[in-house]
Amino acid sequence: MTPPFRRILVANRGEIAIRVMRACRELGIESVAVFSDADRDAPHVRAADRAEWIGPTPATESYLDVEAVIGAARRVGAEAIHPGYGFLSESAAFARAVEDAGLVFVGPPAETMEGLGDKLAARRTAVAAGVAVTPGLLVAAGEARDGELDALGYPLLVKAAAGGGGRGVRRVDGRDELADAVDAARREAEAAFGDGTVYIEKLIAPARHVEVQLLGDRHGNLAVLGERDCSVQRRHQKLVEEAPAPRLRPETRDGLAADARRVAEAVAFHSAATVEFLVDADENRWFLEMNTRLQVEHGVTELVSGVDIVAWQIRVAAGERLSDEVLAATPRGHAIQVRLYAEDPWNGFAPMPGRLGAWTMPDGPGIRVDGGVEAGLELPTAYDALLAKLMVHAPDRDAAVTRLRRALDETAIGGVPTTLGFHRWLVDQPDFIEGRHDLRFVATTWGSGPPLADGDAGQAAAAVVQALGAARPPGPMAGVAGSAQAGVPLPVDGQRPWTRQARAEAVERDPEQ
Amino acid sequence: MTAEREILIGDRPVAGEPGWTLAWVDPRHGVALLRREHQHHLVVIEGGPTDWVVTLGGRRIAVTARSHRDRLLADTAALAVARRGPSHVLATLPGLVVRVLVEPGATVAAGDPLVTIEAMKMQNEIRAPRDGRVSEVAVAPGQAIATGALLVRLADLDP
Repeated sequence: MTPPFRRILVANRGEIAIRVMRACRELGIESVAVFSDADRDAPHVRAADRAEWIGPTPATESYLDVEAVIGAARRVGAEAIHPGYGFLSESAAFARAVEDAGLVFVGPPAETMEGLGDKLAARRTAVAAGVAVTPGLLVAAGEARDGELDALGYPLLVKAAAGGGGRGVRRVDGRDELADAVDAARREAEAAFGDGTVYIEKLIAPARHVEVQLLGDRHGNLAVLGERDCSVQRRHQKLVEEAPAPRLRPETRDGLAADARRVAEAVAFHSAATVEFLVDADENRWFLEMNTRLQVEHGVTELVSGVDIVAWQIRVAAGERLSDEVLAATPRGHAIQVRLYAEDPWNGFAPMPGRLGAWTMPDGPGIRVDGGVEAGLELPTAYDALLAKLMVHAPDRDAAVTRLRRALDETAIGGVPTTLGFHRWLVDQPDFIEGRHDLRFVATTWGSGPPLADGDAGQAAAAVVQALGAARPPGPMAGVAGSAQAGVPLPVDGQRPWTRQARAEAVERDPEQ
Repeated sequence: MTAEREILIGDRPVAGEPGWTLAWVDPRHGVALLRREHQHHLVVIEGGPTDWVVTLGGRRIAVTARSHRDRLLADTAALAVARRGPSHVLATLPGLVVRVLVEPGATVAAGDPLVTIEAMKMQNEIRAPRDGRVSEVAVAPGQAIATGALLVRLADLDP
């Protein structure tokens, strides 16, 4: 196969940059990383064939700087730019600037992004395509007619039209809170996205977040690669995603696929995209938005469909046609992804930058880890706290949950608090095991988390320290002097008494030794 | 010597249950396998020699191992802090100061927000650990700070 491009610049960082570079390598394409001051030694820089500095640490002066990114692409002679997710991936202005520079933007045409990137415009597009949207406004909050909102009933959600990642969202429980919530959402949206337009929709609860993965080419072919459930969320941000969605009636599944196809066909679409819906208790479907980019959770769909979405995104950008295999792909088995963030679940999921200590990831049958970090890495405070995505694939959902539990037990992360502890708790929750959870799950069932040293955990942790103390030879603690720093906790010589003790035990068990 | 050490989680003494052994330790990375019969826990061990953090199933559990002498010293220090509370409010995480919510001379109550720090795209409020009067504001909006940086100094309220 002739590589679709000779050289691609990956305008992102962290795990997604590495994911795209891996696809490039398999396609025979040279990859070029970009990096800011904070990312000079970042793993994504080393994963690429070459790397270009694009500016200081703040994202606005580097990863979000259109001129800097396009300048880097020009310098290295890249033919195409892959934006990943976040940063410039949904900026129609960026897509246009890439095209104007004579380069290929790996994504849909700029005009498609203009029509869908704005959530309000996307709602109007869906309505015109005959797809139900959540009840609410089709115009900005300030332009609503009197009484229009009261007719919807409370609670309502105020959302930023340019929003994403859960920012610029406010819940309103009564009329007296409305004006303040609109103002607050407007300010947050203005600060985060440079656009303070907000709109209002009815809060649908209980509901699940279900989304459909699409892949289209420039020749009018569209593959619907099935749906994902992403109902385990905190702060309106996803923590766990799975494919297919559990406990959905076949007609709901088909309806979601048909709705997604209808929205995509209403716009000139190619590349990868996701159409997001809410599904309520009666399995009514409500269109939320369409994301015209790669999603963080694309991997679970890759696992069940067997389609390499990133590779095809690149091939389609070069004008290739989707193969018959891709167009006919049907999901096999069940896949679940958990997101490992440097956040403390016991502290309201607050981000916890710092230096990463130990980093042991699981492997073996049915495991995939898309990571962007390594042991000892100083996590920059300027960017997203996502460390890695742990995915499992198994023949059915029960087996996938069992495999996920096994995988989490093989995972060890030191230095900073992470969401690992939340996920380990999650896989023992009956509602999750049975797939009955909805969007309220984290708030109602996790709350602020069970006591850290609950049950076995405290006893076992105490036993660790006791075992270390018991094995330490008498005398000064010189050997541990350098250990106060996180991540370098124990002496390096490998001949401490407790390792010797373990070896002695092993020999005892196996007389052949 | 080990016999006089006590193991604490928070303020609570924990008698480590018998039967647990460290099956192996990777001293380079501080990863170990804790085992009891058919139970296994992969753990990360950090810190020491008295204050440890044991990460088990993703839970970072602070464990203190100390002698009676250490304990007496710690109790004395804790008593001093409890009487007056800490007067230095330090950054609990690195990031960018986006807002300073108090001015020198302001009276604050325990729990009042003092400074907002943005880290990893999230805004975090640093709150007053106790009642007091702001005697110094050591940071300004736009300033990048490291963990442990002095943010605000509190003085006692006039009696």
